[in-house]
Amino acid sequence: MSARLLGLASLVLLAACTDQTVVDRASDPRAGFGFVEDGAKRSTGASAAWAQTSAEVAANEARVRALVAGKTVGPETAVQVALMNNRRIQAAYAELGLSATDLWDVALGPRPRLEIGISGIGEAGLARSLEAVVTGAILDLATQKPRTKLAETRFRQAQMMALADTVALAAETRRAWIDAVAAFEVSSMIGRAQGTAEAASELAAELGRTGAMNRADQAREHVFTAELAAERTEARLAAQLAKEKLTRLMGLYGTGTDYYVPDSLPSLPGRRPAPSNAERLALEHRTDLAIAKLELEAIAQQYRLDTQTRRLSSADLSVGVEIERSDARETEASPVLAVGFEIPLYDAGPLTSRRGALEYSRAAHTLAQRAVNARSEARSAHAAVTGTYNIARHWRDEVLPLRREIDREALKSYNGMLTSTFELIEDARDGLEAELETAKAKAAYWRAESDLKTVIWGPIPGGAE
Amino acid sequence: MNRRQLLTGGAGAVLASAAAAETRFRDLPEAAFTDSPYTQVPDRPMAGLEYNPVVTLNGWSLPWRMNAGVKEFHLVAEPVERIMADGMMARLWGYNGQSTGPTIEAVEGERVRIYVTNRLPEHTSVHWHGLILPSGMDGVGGLSHPAIAPGKTFVYEFDLTKSGTFMYHPHADEMVQMAMGMMGLFIVHPRDPAFMPVDRDFAFLLAAYDIDPGTYIPRVAEMTNFNMWTWNSRIFPDIDPLVVNKGDRVRVRCGNLTMTNHPIHMHGYDFEVTCTDGGWVPKSARWPEVSIDIPVGAMRAYEFDAIHEGDWAIHCHKSHHTMNAMGHDLPTFIGTDKRRVTQMIRRQQPGYMPMGTAGMADMGEMSMELPDNTIPMMTGWGPYGPLEMGGMFSVVKVREGIAPDDYSDPGWYVNPPGTQAYEWTGDMPEFARANGPATQVTPKSHLKHDH
Ligand SMILES: [Cu+2]
Repeated sequence: MSARLLGLASLVLLAACTDQTVVDRASDPRAGFGFVEDGAKRSTGASAAWAQTSAEVAANEARVRALVAGKTVGPETAVQVALMNNRRIQAAYAELGLSATDLWDVALGPRPRLEIGISGIGEAGLARSLEAVVTGAILDLATQKPRTKLAETRFRQAQMMALADTVALAAETRRAWIDAVAAFEVSSMIGRAQGTAEAASELAAELGRTGAMNRADQAREHVFTAELAAERTEARLAAQLAKEKLTRLMGLYGTGTDYYVPDSLPSLPGRRPAPSNAERLALEHRTDLAIAKLELEAIAQQYRLDTQTRRLSSADLSVGVEIERSDARETEASPVLAVGFEIPLYDAGPLTSRRGALEYSRAAHTLAQRAVNARSEARSAHAAVTGTYNIARHWRDEVLPLRREIDREALKSYNGMLTSTFELIEDARDGLEAELETAKAKAAYWRAESDLKTVIWGPIPGGAE
Repeated sequence: MNRRQLLTGGAGAVLASAAAAETRFRDLPEAAFTDSPYTQVPDRPMAGLEYNPVVTLNGWSLPWRMNAGVKEFHLVAEPVERIMADGMMARLWGYNGQSTGPTIEAVEGERVRIYVTNRLPEHTSVHWHGLILPSGMDGVGGLSHPAIAPGKTFVYEFDLTKSGTFMYHPHADEMVQMAMGMMGLFIVHPRDPAFMPVDRDFAFLLAAYDIDPGTYIPRVAEMTNFNMWTWNSRIFPDIDPLVVNKGDRVRVRCGNLTMTNHPIHMHGYDFEVTCTDGGWVPKSARWPEVSIDIPVGAMRAYEFDAIHEGDWAIHCHKSHHTMNAMGHDLPTFIGTDKRRVTQMIRRQQPGYMPMGTAGMADMGEMSMELPDNTIPMMTGWGPYGPLEMGGMFSVVKVREGIAPDDYSDPGWYVNPPGTQAYEWTGDMPEFARANGPATQVTPKSHLKHDH
């Protein structure tokens, strides 16, 4: 069949090329969000919310206010609020919306305005230009189905990315909540240590008054208290900043910041972490793997499309430039220019298939490495949970009881006037130090626990250790 | 309670140990052992020469046998557990079940044969401190004879050429073995029972240990900071009293195996030193004392007539030596207001009690929980309150009508009416006060006027 004949046949078909079911699906204002909602529920336990109108935004804000105002916020609430109120995630959902409109565009098929393009610039004269544009339209039409398929793949990728962003935000928020609570716990413990230092300081001052302690020794007690006060101020600031990060992630400002976090993290669970199935779950659920897999699919689809166009090239039509441009959208958006510009590259056939093979290979290797990483991250996360659990339990069950025994015995020695009040205070302070380490170990466990939840669905924000 | 009762009754029993009965040395006299920390008043001698036995405070005398005219003893050097006071046990080395070891009693002119079996983990020897004997019997390991290896038995045999107050202790790894409690008294009675006779003859050895509260074994490397100041490895309030019948002639023999001197002071009496480990002091050489300093490594015996009835303290006058374990690194809290600090500390240590703000007497009054295996630094209760004493302290109890062989505690002395200090509740008499450090000369006219 000659090009001309094909062109005529195609023009006839132009009006009837729309894939109505895809158009219906893609034109839905919340197109594809059901998938994100479902995935968010399963991965984070929270509901994703896509506020598209000012009324929806207002309703969201009202719900958020009810959840946090004057309340002590737990990790679930924090994540829920972030998913509803964080504007970054709303931007990510808008990205999904844009992808839906792309699909809609493609599914609608070549548009009438393409024909207007006939009057567009033709480098080799009007007649030639007309032919080219017609060819372009024919090409579009002929590739309508595969291109719709590719756009659908891209759309599925966009859904996955929206879910990935949701998972990442939830992970970041949970982590920020843990950090904030841990920081307050540390701050209050340093406060208690400061209490014992102040006791020593007070005693030193009293001994100075009675004439039993010289100025240097008094100053030694005071300087410790003073240094500890600086440490406490630092700890308070750290807690404040940690809470601020959480506030940011929850998208709160103004009176919305009027909320509290608990004074301490929950105690360790009674049971050791179960044996790992994280690796299997990660391979099943990871969004980054799904995205890379879809990329592979998209490349395959894209190059299958090329194969078809190459068949067309054998009829003296070339879309080599289209192939060279990996972005199909651009080609579609300006077919006239594209075709006109790309004609000189008509002979690019061999390059096309080589490029396809390489891109496919690149995507395939990328996917393979992602999978390797995901499995390792899952194993690391599980090892971290088990390890931090054991460490935290060791502090709690081995170190702390010994510290308490030291405290008990210190009191007895003090009772017997074998040691002084200062030594008693020092032992108490060491005991607090151990409690501080125990709290830090507990926080490490909860962070690892949060990471293990995350790593099944996607990479840990900020990277795995 | 008479002597026999004390000797055979209850915890005071002298035990013939099964282990000793199994000894392979058929020739050896059976070794006697005791596990009692209480005073065991010995019987008068059944055989050999007559003498008036000593009463070893919280101790006992080693049984002996006559063998072809030789008085035979069997000392066993071994690890022992010593109850230093109720609530405090020490793992020491001693002889025949106790530290200090049993008192060896014999009579001037007798020949003694002393078997010494070593059940310690290291070699030992016995030096007979103050006795005149052949050089080869002097018990300096390596110098007089080879040290007695673990498991070995050596025999010491010599004539007692003089009477007096002596002791025995190891002279092999001496520092460790004495720090571990190895020592005993060796009393040689005069051949003539009429020579300087007494009705009551008490004996004890001064020993110092460093046993950290909560531990059981002395720190043998300690040279200065001891915390257990003992008489016969016992500390007050669990050193037995020196019970005396009014009118008795009393002798107190005391040997010092610590690393410092001890001014032993007795209330209520003047007394005279009548014997050292060098021998008896002639009357013309004595002078009256109320305290005698017992030098390191020396023995003193002093005598008095118990004419003043009452409960009289007897103690070392170094005040730290009448304390049990205490910290030396304590600030002086006298006058310190601890109210605020108490609230602050109790937030972390709810059981905290402020102490020392009015002195340390609270320690004697309060009974708070202490570390295991220790007793309060100042303790003991008298009829009128806490005695606030520990370590080298006891009471000489002089009473009318105590039977010659009775050494049991007669209880607290009841002071006759009008002979005890009492609280003044009338008008405060005028009193003078000096405020300046300058010498103030009392005007002579004032003195004249008064007299
Ligand atoms: Cu002393």
